[in-house]
Amino acid sequence: MKLLHLYHDIMNLYGDYANVLAVQRILENSGEEVTVERLSLGDDATLSDYDFIFIGSGTERNQKVVLEDFKKYREQLAGYIASDKPLLMTGNSFEMLGNTITDGDGTAFDGLKLYDFTVTEQRGKRSTADVIASCDFLDKPLVGFINKSSMITGVRNPLCTVTFGIGNNDAGQTEGIADRHFYGTHITGPVLQKNPHFLLYIAGLILGRKPADDCLLYEQKGYDNTLKKLSERIK
Amino acid sequence: MKKFFTILICKLLRFVGKLIGKGSSMPGQVALKLCPDILKRVELPRYIIAITGSNGKTSTVEMIAHILTQNGKTVAWNREGSNQIEGVTTMVLSNATLSGKVKADILLIESDERYAKKTFSYIEPTDYVITNLYRDQLTRNGHPEFVFDAIADSIHDGTRLILNADDPLVSVFGNGRENVVWFGADELSSDEKELHSVYNDGAYCPLCKAPMDYSTHHYNHIGHYACTSCGYRRHDTGYTVTAVDLREGWLELDGKYRISLALKSLYNIYNILAAYTVARLVGIDGQAIADDMNDYVLKNGRVIQFRLGTRKGTLLTSKHENSISYDHSIRVACACEQGADVLIIVDAVSRKYFTSDVSWLWDIDFEMLNNENIHEIVLAGAYVNDLAARFSYTGIPQEKIKLYEDIPEAVDYLNSGRNEYIYTITCFSDKEKFLSKVEEV
Repeated sequence: MKLLHLYHDIMNLYGDYANVLAVQRILENSGEEVTVERLSLGDDATLSDYDFIFIGSGTERNQKVVLEDFKKYREQLAGYIASDKPLLMTGNSFEMLGNTITDGDGTAFDGLKLYDFTVTEQRGKRSTADVIASCDFLDKPLVGFINKSSMITGVRNPLCTVTFGIGNNDAGQTEGIADRHFYGTHITGPVLQKNPHFLLYIAGLILGRKPADDCLLYEQKGYDNTLKKLSERIK
Repeated sequence: MKKFFTILICKLLRFVGKLIGKGSSMPGQVALKLCPDILKRVELPRYIIAITGSNGKTSTVEMIAHILTQNGKTVAWNREGSNQIEGVTTMVLSNATLSGKVKADILLIESDERYAKKTFSYIEPTDYVITNLYRDQLTRNGHPEFVFDAIADSIHDGTRLILNADDPLVSVFGNGRENVVWFGADELSSDEKELHSVYNDGAYCPLCKAPMDYSTHHYNHIGHYACTSCGYRRHDTGYTVTAVDLREGWLELDGKYRISLALKSLYNIYNILAAYTVARLVGIDGQAIADDMNDYVLKNGRVIQFRLGTRKGTLLTSKHENSISYDHSIRVACACEQGADVLIIVDAVSRKYFTSDVSWLWDIDFEMLNNENIHEIVLAGAYVNDLAARFSYTGIPQEKIKLYEDIPEAVDYLNSGRNEYIYTITCFSDKEKFLSKVEEV
């Protein structure tokens, strides 16, 4: 199995890199031989070669630099998603797939326009929150932390509904984006370590069978603890 | 009259507050309500030295105050560490006469990096030290570039900047600017050619975003860098650490002054260097500074020696949500040649606000603890399982790691049958939970 960690050294805030290690470990524990490739600006990847692709979050300025490079993958990426292979994009990386990103100074940058949503960054302000969010394809909610400068409007197919925390914009409770097996979320950092059920789900998609689930004891307890702490905050 | 009453009330509130053990923000808060531009109305000394940055502010300010006081200067400074505008106002007015004249040769202000603009819209520093820009309190500060923008908004044209040349993110503040003093370290014996870290915030040029080359890394993204495209590079330094020996515990400044280190850490070295730079600029003799800094032990309670039964140890206060702070503490523990056990506690992520975010654990270079000097690692606190998950990726053998959700149980374990030196690494929010179980020495 081949995993791709794209823009690993520039879209890498908050321990995002760990998601790739989580997928690698669970696939290996499920008996697969796994190679991970880490590529960045200026590299040329053939996306269809991979069984899983991950891109993490970056600073607003780094995201704009990456966006220019990322545009070359537009058709390939559309094909990859259409082929039902899993793609995870955390933080502001998934914003690149929309119509435009307008920065804090009002400059608009064209996105890949694969989806019909619009991103507006707020100058000097961040929206941060601990989050509990429910996904219709997962039996337990996602937990994590959102740390972003942007408001996103026009997402037709959100990933989840936030029951605690913040969503794509101030007006609604929906968060992220999902299309086939592409999942984009502003929940950042090691989302898959923090949500072992999401990791198992993605590993199941990659493998086409049930993955080994006996290597996630600490992750499971950590998840239970965070869900409990966040649930107490709601009360 | 308004000025007179505002200062009077601030002083009274501070006096009463001290008696009943209240913090130092409230009097300033009241003063700012009574007279929002009070900081503009007071008469300030010739030197107004501000310090901001992610790490090292409090320690550096304490060192500067120590050196200047030892050399006959009177210094007004925020020794309680309240570093937002309210705390700064309390400090300034407490040190002022009722007519509004600050009674000191030097006003020394530690400022929170995120809110520096607010404080310095009223006070224009003569000198402004920026120590470093790290990933810190991501739940509040976003990321280093976001903090960069916040600090940039707080800088006056007429202020002399005193910058860490070794931090590429900080050095941008001096780009194209005349009145800048640079401090930094020459290539050191403790350096790494290849970066040893789980991330690199210096991988790309902060100006043009082309890849950067490092000829040497002091630690993390701190080192000697040059952009491969636009010419941005580490600036030559006016005040310099020319050599260190972390094993023996000394550093040498400007090739002349040798200082013996109470805390054998690069973290300590940069704080001393920044303090030395400021003191020199104020006119203190280099040798006098070296004498004052020799074996200097910080009084801010961040490094605490303790005894647990027959065992000895050091608590290294580190900041949760700040991976470089942890990395420094881990390096200190790993340097313990007679062998040490390490206790890491993550129980409350912050003492100031709630968050359950532990992403920052994945930015810490815990892999360094896979070292023969480290015998056992005890992980403790409410987030013990998140720590254990992180450690399961370090390659450290499982049998070396003990897990305790309960902090007293972790301490009891350490107090039974082992003899190694103990390094406890935790944050302000959790350290009392440990210190209440041991004897401070």
